[in-house]
Amino acid sequence: MSAQTISGGLDEYDDNKDMCPICKTDRYLSPDLKFLVNPECYHKICENCVDRIFSLGPAQCPYKGCDKILRKNKFKTQVFDDVAVEKEVDIRKRVFNVFNKTIADFNGNLQDYNKYLEDIEEIVYNLDHGVDTEQTEEKLRTYEELNKQLILNNIERNKKDIENFSQSQQFEKDMKLKKKLLEKQIEEEDRFNKEWAKKEIVNRLMTSSGGDTSDVIEGVKNTVKLKKSSARRKLEELNRVLKNNPYFAANNVGQNNNNRKSTIPYTPFNGDRDLNQRFEVDETKYNDPLVQELEKRKDYIASGFRTDFVYERVLTEAFMGLGCVISEERV
Amino acid sequence: MSESNYSKEKKVGEGTYAVVYLGKQISTGNEIAVKEIKTSEFKDGLDMSAIREVKYLQELDHPNVINLIDIFMAYDNLNLVLEFLPTDLEVVIKDKNILFTPADIKSWMLMTLRGVYHVHRNFILHRDLKPNNLLISPEGLIKVADFGLARAVPGPREMLTSNVVTRWYRAPELLFGAKHYTYAVDVWSIGVIFAELMLRIPYLPGQDDMNQMEVTFRALGTPTDKDWPEVSSFAGYNKLQIYPPPSRDELRKRFIAATESALTLMENMLMMNPQTRWDTIQCLESEYFKELPAPTDPAEINIFAQKA
Repeated sequence: MSAQTISGGLDEYDDNKDMCPICKTDRYLSPDLKFLVNPECYHKICENCVDRIFSLGPAQCPYKGCDKILRKNKFKTQVFDDVAVEKEVDIRKRVFNVFNKTIADFNGNLQDYNKYLEDIEEIVYNLDHGVDTEQTEEKLRTYEELNKQLILNNIERNKKDIENFSQSQQFEKDMKLKKKLLEKQIEEEDRFNKEWAKKEIVNRLMTSSGGDTSDVIEGVKNTVKLKKSSARRKLEELNRVLKNNPYFAANNVGQNNNNRKSTIPYTPFNGDRDLNQRFEVDETKYNDPLVQELEKRKDYIASGFRTDFVYERVLTEAFMGLGCVISEERV
Repeated sequence: MSESNYSKEKKVGEGTYAVVYLGKQISTGNEIAVKEIKTSEFKDGLDMSAIREVKYLQELDHPNVINLIDIFMAYDNLNLVLEFLPTDLEVVIKDKNILFTPADIKSWMLMTLRGVYHVHRNFILHRDLKPNNLLISPEGLIKVADFGLARAVPGPREMLTSNVVTRWYRAPELLFGAKHYTYAVDVWSIGVIFAELMLRIPYLPGQDDMNQMEVTFRALGTPTDKDWPEVSSFAGYNKLQIYPPPSRDELRKRFIAATESALTLMENMLMMNPQTRWDTIQCLESEYFKELPAPTDPAEINIFAQKA
């Protein structure tokens, strides 16, 4: 753009992006200015001019030296700044409307499908660059004639796919919103419960004469725990629904059949986990004063010290060798 | 056990105590890496980390742990023959030309956790987990490597040094100088790596040891005695600024692409209290690995730069 502006002269006005080259209306003065193009020649003309020139029927393109005859109903808004891009996109749209097979139509044969895609590219290129235009148009027409039923079917299928997708998007969105609301509700309830518990404890401690204070506190805490709110239950339900998302599953079934080679089902440890522990620790009966004393020391608690780790290690090492004969293990 | 069985072809790296060469196992033609420990430079004998590396790698045999193939002596130098691993996670994270998907991250996390689970069940603490030490094999498998700081789980009365793990991946109990920490320190590191994989920038980049506490607690909340019993008994605790822990929504905003169960897994790996932090078994059994998308087959993760 800048290069053009520098070149100056009269062209500067013609190339101005915001001015209609026919009636010279400027966007500066009329901000509603809208440009349209016709896929015959892709010359840019403002909406008013289109109305004025083509209302009475087909007419010649008002651009100097362009002798294409244009019709009003073919005019459309330009999406891309670059006319070349606009043109190619239009051609693609037209070709893909006819050549609309998917890989499923080739029974998953990638090679055939690729060849088909290559053919399409060839046609698009030819039309775009004006190579053998007539022949290519002919090819397009014959294909359309021959495959009418298939094309219609595919259009139907595409529609369904798009519908499915937007439905699943909507579904997910709704669910997420619901989830957020529930979570907020739960948070609020939790806060309320906490405050209630605090007050309740104070109340009970005031009214109860003597007795064990820790018992009272424990009692109140338990009632709070039992108050599992309906919101929480709903959230769990929602999570379950989300996991079995019917749309998600439906979309993936088709894919799996095509893409998935028969793989081993997922297991967290890849089958490499020894679940036959050789011992069981009953911590209420197992008496190890040496370790139990450590469990109460501040520096141990704060470090994350865990007696079960100690027991596990000591006992595993003690029992590991049992039933293992070295002469048999040696390779 | 002979040097003639291996060739050193190209020097690929040099550290303070070792030089790494690329080579071949002559009998099979397999590519290998030879780590030559510079014994001659240490008057008091072998470097500690070399001993650790040999000691623990000899014990471990797992697809997600680096394989020590052989050891031999040549010209008074100790040589470790390791399997050849062309790249590591740090390189992959940093290279912006490489694109990876949530399924790839899941696959890497899965392999890392399996490897570390194996290390832990052999009662070994790795103590230096970071992307740089998670190597990737030509088949795409993650291999936990660099056992230079590893040690066996100590007896209950032994003391441990808290000066371990690269700073950004150091668990809060280590920052506080705990002397009796557990496997939980490794899980924390994996949690930080998980976050880094999702963000593609280091999650908790502290500039020095004090700043690391600041950064960690600002991101994840300062622990209190309520959620971490006796945390206030650590010497450095009093001077800390108290930050509130992040809410789910804040995490969601930080990790836009993460699913709910991914956040749950991360939260539990980055739990302040080491007693309640998940162990590798809980992590591997988490919902995250069961939900879709399924982890990518390691061989199909494309870790080579994709030019647009």
